[in-house]
Amino acid sequence: MFLSVGVRFEANVEALNMVETAGNYGKHRRVPYLVEEEGKLKTVYVPAMSGESLAHAYQEHLVREALSAGLPVCDDCQRGEFYKSMNKVHLKKKVDPIPDNPKSIEEAIVKACVVEDVGGFLYAEKPPVRRSSAFQVSYALPVKSVALFATSEPQLHARHAQMDASSKKGNASEQMIYYVETGTALYGFTFNLDLDAVGVSAITSKPILDEDEIKKRREASLKALFRMLSSSQFGAKLSRFFPVGGITELVVAATDYPFVVTSPIYDDYIVKTKKRLEVLRSFGEESFLAVAGEEKVPEEALKEAIDYLHEKGAF
Amino acid sequence: MVNTEYGGIVKMLRFFVQTKNFSYVDRIGNALNPEPVEVALLEALRAFRSIRESAPIDKNGRMYVEKDGNKIPVPGIPSDEEIKKFLDDVRSDMGVAKLVATLALAYPSRKENSGGGE
Repeated sequence: MFLSVGVRFEANVEALNMVETAGNYGKHRRVPYLVEEEGKLKTVYVPAMSGESLAHAYQEHLVREALSAGLPVCDDCQRGEFYKSMNKVHLKKKVDPIPDNPKSIEEAIVKACVVEDVGGFLYAEKPPVRRSSAFQVSYALPVKSVALFATSEPQLHARHAQMDASSKKGNASEQMIYYVETGTALYGFTFNLDLDAVGVSAITSKPILDEDEIKKRREASLKALFRMLSSSQFGAKLSRFFPVGGITELVVAATDYPFVVTSPIYDDYIVKTKKRLEVLRSFGEESFLAVAGEEKVPEEALKEAIDYLHEKGAF
Repeated sequence: MVNTEYGGIVKMLRFFVQTKNFSYVDRIGNALNPEPVEVALLEALRAFRSIRESAPIDKNGRMYVEKDGNKIPVPGIPSDEEIKKFLDDVRSDMGVAKLVATLALAYPSRKENSGGGE
């Protein structure tokens, strides 16, 4: 089973993905973007959130859901440090002595940690072992039709320190000013989850875990996605720049084999997704689609998709 | 000669390379059209000004920043004429951007004083 979600969310004055700081200036991530204006394509720079940032948030939610379901999560991942068994030092915490063949290494890691099972890993030693992530996430980018209205603007903030004559040293200032570049846009991103890859070896394509364990892990992966979208707990600087806005539209499709919803950066993404699914249905393939907009809230659409997957026996 | 025409920009980009920030030089060197060069240069200048404002000055009166225990001299800010000429030239020939980025990645010639402010 394959789940694909397209999300549109409005975020005003957000600092969800900051990149580097230079002196007192913290920059928002920005990407070049092709937009059409008067029949011509032009490049504009727009605020964006990286897929890596969204993936990190998803995996943090996955940790919580897995632990609450009594599933194993390694110590590194429990701390939100997703080293993913990248070398001997980290792998030894899971299996010691380290096996000498890739199949046994993958099996040991998958059994020991749900996050590395669902989120993949790269053990960069001899022999190297790589497991692709069962979930995929795009960058969050401004919706095409309104991308030209997206802004990234620096906001001035100040931090004060009380200083009397005795504590003041040199020409130290009592006031430190700094700029935080904030983004404002209607963003869209896509999230895919290949449930068939959970608990299954990337080397042999055979299950590593028993069916019951696989189903529990699939359920935890779905709940993590639900929680991430429902709580808006993704991105950085939430403590003082929690985005003003929320999910405006969401489309979720569940299919037997991989199918990705049309990207929500296009205005007609819902219609296009429906049409594409109809073609699949004409081949006799079953599918599910739920759309959240004005009538349905995102949680309802996601819940319907999860219920559908449950009925289909995915978990 | 490009190195003298855009010497200030090359020195500024080289400073970022020395501080292991390859972002600007990569974006300028790999740009396929003028827009990314303009944005990268704007961001580089903004960051460079911030760095200069808080850079300490050594006993010889030179600005520097410390990175991994090394003192890296902070060069001067490129002049507005130089920036304008560079951007005009990039709009007519993208090869100029690639050449400037390549020079910034090379070792400075022995004659050149690679930093120390104006």
